[in-house]
Amino acid sequence: MRAEVLEIALIAGVLTYLWRFLPLRANLRDMQPNGFLARFLAATGPAAIATLFVAEMLPLLHGTLAQEGRALVGVLGVGLAYAWRRSVVFATLAGALACGGAAWLGLS
Amino acid sequence: MGACQRIRSDLCLTENRVGRYRLGMRTGKSPVVAGFQAALPLVLGYFPIAFSFGVSATRNGLSGTEAFALSLIVFAGAAQFLAIALVAGGAPVVVAGLTLAAMNLRHVLYGPTLLQKAGPDAARRFGWIWAFSLTDEVFAAALGALAKGQRFSEGFMVTLGFCAYGSWLAGTAAGAWAGGGALDGWPALSAGLDFMLPALFLALLMSILHGAQVPVIAIAGLATVAATWWFSGTAGLFAGMIAGAVAGVSLPMRRLSDAG
Repeated sequence: MRAEVLEIALIAGVLTYLWRFLPLRANLRDMQPNGFLARFLAATGPAAIATLFVAEMLPLLHGTLAQEGRALVGVLGVGLAYAWRRSVVFATLAGALACGGAAWLGLS
Repeated sequence: MGACQRIRSDLCLTENRVGRYRLGMRTGKSPVVAGFQAALPLVLGYFPIAFSFGVSATRNGLSGTEAFALSLIVFAGAAQFLAIALVAGGAPVVVAGLTLAAMNLRHVLYGPTLLQKAGPDAARRFGWIWAFSLTDEVFAAALGALAKGQRFSEGFMVTLGFCAYGSWLAGTAAGAWAGGGALDGWPALSAGLDFMLPALFLALLMSILHGAQVPVIAIAGLATVAATWWFSGTAGLFAGMIAGAVAGVSLPMRRLSDAG
């Protein structure tokens, strides 16, 4: 194993851990329930998940026509599966299966 | 029975079909069982993505041990894929390390958001353990579970996070072992695996979706597209989260809390 790869992993790993851990030490007890920070944090969850979904979809939608078609089939698969069973596991697998199935049927 | 309206970290109020309210403890499952259940989609989603990472790393000249070390120490998917490019491109060590860390800076919001959702009495004694595994997906899964009435506990967080971590390590090891050309002859399988993360995020988004949050989600999505278009993917992630959260400040607190 090369030393430089280990050093990169350690710098990135330690700093990433600190980003995740240090904010947990913040005192939230004094936070106003209807204050700016409380509203900001309450909205961060849905905003983050929406952002991550869009960020994951953008490269797929900037590919070939076949890639775009597969992605749309996958989105449809997730939507229909979630509407049917209300299960995150089922919908995730159904979406991946729909996308893979579309590729197998010719959208590749 | 209506949705759980949390009135304390361990109590919720539910409305029955004739409009009467009932006070009760929030879900009775043990934190470990609940953690395993919440982790299942992550375990299924993480393994193939980590497999792709292992394959990609070995294809780009990293050894299997180096790929595994990145997963073991960093545990941040997108940053690890960028690490492959930086290592393969010969970027200086400090620049590469700081670039990867900067890419993960958005994680500073995750802990306080979960604690705020969990309530003022939420334990964080072992936060130094479960914080390690607070990735995008673990955060999203935890938030989805809390929105469905799961009681916040550190046992739940540790189980959820470290199941995901185990899957990530196992997938990386399998991908590194399979080698650089493992998926070349399987385009349909490769396409399905590539779609696993978008599918997971969409399913999680649907699980917490509430009409009141549509403006937050729309603004986050638009800001992500705009900043990615004009600057970079990392800028898009920051812009989307911050713009969406700021948009949420203008919504009544009760509507935000009810939904997510």
